[in-house]
Amino acid sequence: MIKAMLRGLLAHKLRLLLSALAIVLGTAFMSAAFVGGDTISKGFNDMFSQINENLDVQVTGRSDVPGLPDGSQVVTAVVPEGVARSLSGVDGVAMATPQVASDGARVIDKNGKAVASTGPPRLGIGWPADPGGQPMVVMRDGEPPRAPNQVAISKNLADVTGYQIGSQIDVITLQPRQPFTVTGIVGVSQDRDSLGGETYVVFTEPRAQDLMLGRTGVYSNVDLTAQPGVSPEQLKDNVQRALGGGYEVLTAQETAVKQAGPIQTFLNVFKTALWIFGLLGLITGLFLIFNTFSMLVAQRTRELALYRSFGANKRQVLNSVLVESILLGLVSSTVGLGIGVGLGWLLKWALGAASGTPLPGTGIVLRPIVVVTTLLAGTLITMIAALLPAIRASRVAPLEAMREAAKPDKPLGRLTITGLVLLAAGIALLVLKGTDTVDNAVLTLGGGSLLTFLGAVLLAPALSRPVTRGIGKLVDWAVPGRLGVRNTGRNPRRTALTAAALMIGVTLATGAGVFASSVKSGVTELFRQDLNADLVLQADFAAGPTAGFDPAIEKQLKETPGVLAATAIRGDAVRMAGRDVFANSMDAEAAQTLFSVKPQAGEVRTLNPGEVILTGRFAEQTGLGVGASTTMATARGGSTELHVVGIIEPNQLVDEPIISAQDAAGFRSPLAQQAYVKVTDESQIGSVRNRLDTLVANNPEVSVASPADQLKQATSFLDLLLLILNFLLGLTILVAVLGVINTLLLSVFERTRELGMLRAVGMSRGRVGWMITVESVLISLFGALMGVVLGTGLGIALVTILGGQFLKLTIPWGYLVTTLVAAIIVGVLAALLPAARAARLNVLQAIAYE
Amino acid sequence: MTTSTVPAARAQAVWKVYGQGEAAVHALRGVSADFERGRYTAIMGPSGSGKSTLMHCLAGLDNVSSGEVYIGDTKVTGLSDSGLTKLRRDKVGFVFQQFNLLPTLTAEENILLPLAIAGRKADPDWYTTVIDTVGLGDRLRHRPSELSGGQQQRVACARALVSRPQVIFADEPTGNLDSRSGTDVLNFLRDSVRRHGQTIVMVTHDPNAASFADRVVFLADGQIVDELSEPTADGVLDRMKKLDQHQ
Repeated sequence: MIKAMLRGLLAHKLRLLLSALAIVLGTAFMSAAFVGGDTISKGFNDMFSQINENLDVQVTGRSDVPGLPDGSQVVTAVVPEGVARSLSGVDGVAMATPQVASDGARVIDKNGKAVASTGPPRLGIGWPADPGGQPMVVMRDGEPPRAPNQVAISKNLADVTGYQIGSQIDVITLQPRQPFTVTGIVGVSQDRDSLGGETYVVFTEPRAQDLMLGRTGVYSNVDLTAQPGVSPEQLKDNVQRALGGGYEVLTAQETAVKQAGPIQTFLNVFKTALWIFGLLGLITGLFLIFNTFSMLVAQRTRELALYRSFGANKRQVLNSVLVESILLGLVSSTVGLGIGVGLGWLLKWALGAASGTPLPGTGIVLRPIVVVTTLLAGTLITMIAALLPAIRASRVAPLEAMREAAKPDKPLGRLTITGLVLLAAGIALLVLKGTDTVDNAVLTLGGGSLLTFLGAVLLAPALSRPVTRGIGKLVDWAVPGRLGVRNTGRNPRRTALTAAALMIGVTLATGAGVFASSVKSGVTELFRQDLNADLVLQADFAAGPTAGFDPAIEKQLKETPGVLAATAIRGDAVRMAGRDVFANSMDAEAAQTLFSVKPQAGEVRTLNPGEVILTGRFAEQTGLGVGASTTMATARGGSTELHVVGIIEPNQLVDEPIISAQDAAGFRSPLAQQAYVKVTDESQIGSVRNRLDTLVANNPEVSVASPADQLKQATSFLDLLLLILNFLLGLTILVAVLGVINTLLLSVFERTRELGMLRAVGMSRGRVGWMITVESVLISLFGALMGVVLGTGLGIALVTILGGQFLKLTIPWGYLVTTLVAAIIVGVLAALLPAARAARLNVLQAIAYE
Repeated sequence: MTTSTVPAARAQAVWKVYGQGEAAVHALRGVSADFERGRYTAIMGPSGSGKSTLMHCLAGLDNVSSGEVYIGDTKVTGLSDSGLTKLRRDKVGFVFQQFNLLPTLTAEENILLPLAIAGRKADPDWYTTVIDTVGLGDRLRHRPSELSGGQQQRVACARALVSRPQVIFADEPTGNLDSRSGTDVLNFLRDSVRRHGQTIVMVTHDPNAASFADRVVFLADGQIVDELSEPTADGVLDRMKKLDQHQ
């Protein structure tokens, strides 16, 4: 019997194909996420192992000061020369090579701008003074630097800038731009230009120490090789014992893992995001498959009844439908897995091509668990989707089915009530979170949203008829339109189910849109209200974390005619009062004008060395009040004692402790990152701006902008994020559209006789096609409308609950309207195939169809 | 009642062949027939005689292999699909054996469907007459699922009548009905011919149904073999028996 049913299934290939496509897409996304992520991950691990293949143990300095949040590789903790030299005498050490290497060597290109970086560090390193020392790079051409004003540059840097051996270049480091002559071109091992897109400027060792670490006589790390017979772990133990506490000692492998750390974190986020969108795609496919199997079962009611009438029992019928679904799921998942593997490989290749450094290895990493999970997910979802129709199929009473009785509309009561209950529960949870009655965000926000969504899906059938009738009023003045509206209302469950698939993607996209526009509004309002600056001096976005300008410019800013208030801001991660925090040095008095900073206690004025102003929140957290003392440890400056002279009210722009310019001397970078200027009279903005331009003319990394420019940068970044999100959601929308096509095709097939009859009484092909198009647009619009309403509601809930001044509830009406218009277009496109089918029906065959 | 010179429907040397070569099936072999206006004609024959095929060809639902078909003055053979659609919309009415009605429309909407498609309004007096004739006044707001088989067929008849087509083709209209409902339907059809001059061509295998017609045309093996005017059920049965004997 299974064979017979399988043959029946194959007879409707197109519908099977559409259902299979949904599973294929979802599983492809999921497996691509894992395969791509795992392969890239292994590639990076391999690469970092290769870098460190010439060393067994690495010794670096240890710091109590927290690192910068963006994980930049600016080295501040150093290994003094004496310690470095002593390491060669440690038991088991074959060779000890001290190295100088740190992020922050910026080359000025021929246009006068610093060569940008969008991630990988711009390393400044030293060529080992010791002739036996192992350099970090390999000479490709020319000679290593021998004099203080000589450098070698990496090949990728030479390619980008066009500099060659003999070129005169300027490089900015911890010191302002210095001139050098290029003596050589370098690369890394295995004939690569770089490991991951980083650039190298090679100085002589003493010059590198001075420019990259801030003083001579220190190193960033010491690379040790072990004597034969000594394992890296043994060597590590020996070294640790010899050194005692103050330094970090890691084996090559541990170093590789640490270096790969930030990348792995990013990859994990990337993998998780792709995986979630894949799962969403699969869940959307669930609706599609459920619909398909429901309709297939309904159509084959007579066939199934036939089987029942000659002896097949309920169990057999149920099983055979399930077997069909398992086969469909398995085959589709396998195809999806194959495509996903291909996509994963493509991801790895794309990454290599984009960054200019292909990762080692040509294969892909396909873990068995990924194969199992993907196949299981796809097959399970197909099975679940087919389960309910399968049970219904097994319950078909033979005679009843043979009689082609008119199927009365199944009552929606139970479904609607369940839906209302879930909806109410969901909203209740959200309200609870909103009024802070319950604090657990995951439970209330996540659970509430989920329940609300489920409730809406269950309510959809009850809503489908009134809503589609309402929308349909636009077209029901003519016969095809009226018929289309009626047909959509014929089977509310099926319409609702098809539309619900679309609802998923639209809800998420709309919710994100509401959130994003609220953030934009909030930030904009913040800028307009609290930020009173007219001009901003800031490092260019692509200039990287080490860019900035001389903080002494602040004095010149204040003295510029036309300037009412000005302050430079220099910030860094420090350890204050036992907590990791970001501290800023700025003119607190100017801050009152520029950032609407208001005193809460004590004095808020320009600070002297040894003084600090805290935010209300920090004061609460640390228990410090006006007059109390605390210590601050900076990256390069050791520990300083500070007295609290004032506390400021909560302020979204200034949210961190303020210190004096002098106390910031120990910061990682000697430069200030931003400066704000308020002009006395608006008419003078232009002339003041010109003067500021002159002030920073020599600095290729900094430019003068207005807060409006800053705002535009921030909002366009948000827009980019939103675009990426919408693109990823596109997968779920695509699957949902497949569902619409599927539903329509099946419905056209079911109505073959009706359609034949319509043609017989004189309806033209075009009008029949239009009728189908109306149905398609109504379903799509219904789904999109529900998604927009739900998404807006959830978005409002999210914004209200999260609160804060960066969020100002704004509903992006334009975005909503665009979504609805897009739904109409999608509906028209989805109708193309089914409408063509319907129009092409041979009238006679259709009428005679049994 | 005068019959005009142009027949309501005409077949001229119509051949219909399915398939090719040795597997070819000759459903109609050179059939020529005129169907007068204002008359009720029945086409009868055993299964496989080609009676349904003839009707389909006359109505423009199927193409002929050779020969010509006319509805009134309009030449049906050679019309494009949109031409045939227009023909069916404006000049021809249909009553099928079953599934005539759209389940999503009420009885009234079903009746007015062809007119609505043509963009025309029904003549109110004629509409009332038709409704009264088929006796459906109280069921107009009901959906087909709420009507009995007989009532559904009456709605189908009303639909065919309301647009006053040149000819109504009925394919076994009483085939799925019990004898009483069937008789009702046949009476309505005959009434429409007698009282309102409608032309009806009905295909049937039931001698009793054929007896309601003014003329019966007998088909066997794709050819017209006999004719009977003012038929009675017994008379038709006799002719049918003779045909069987000749097979």
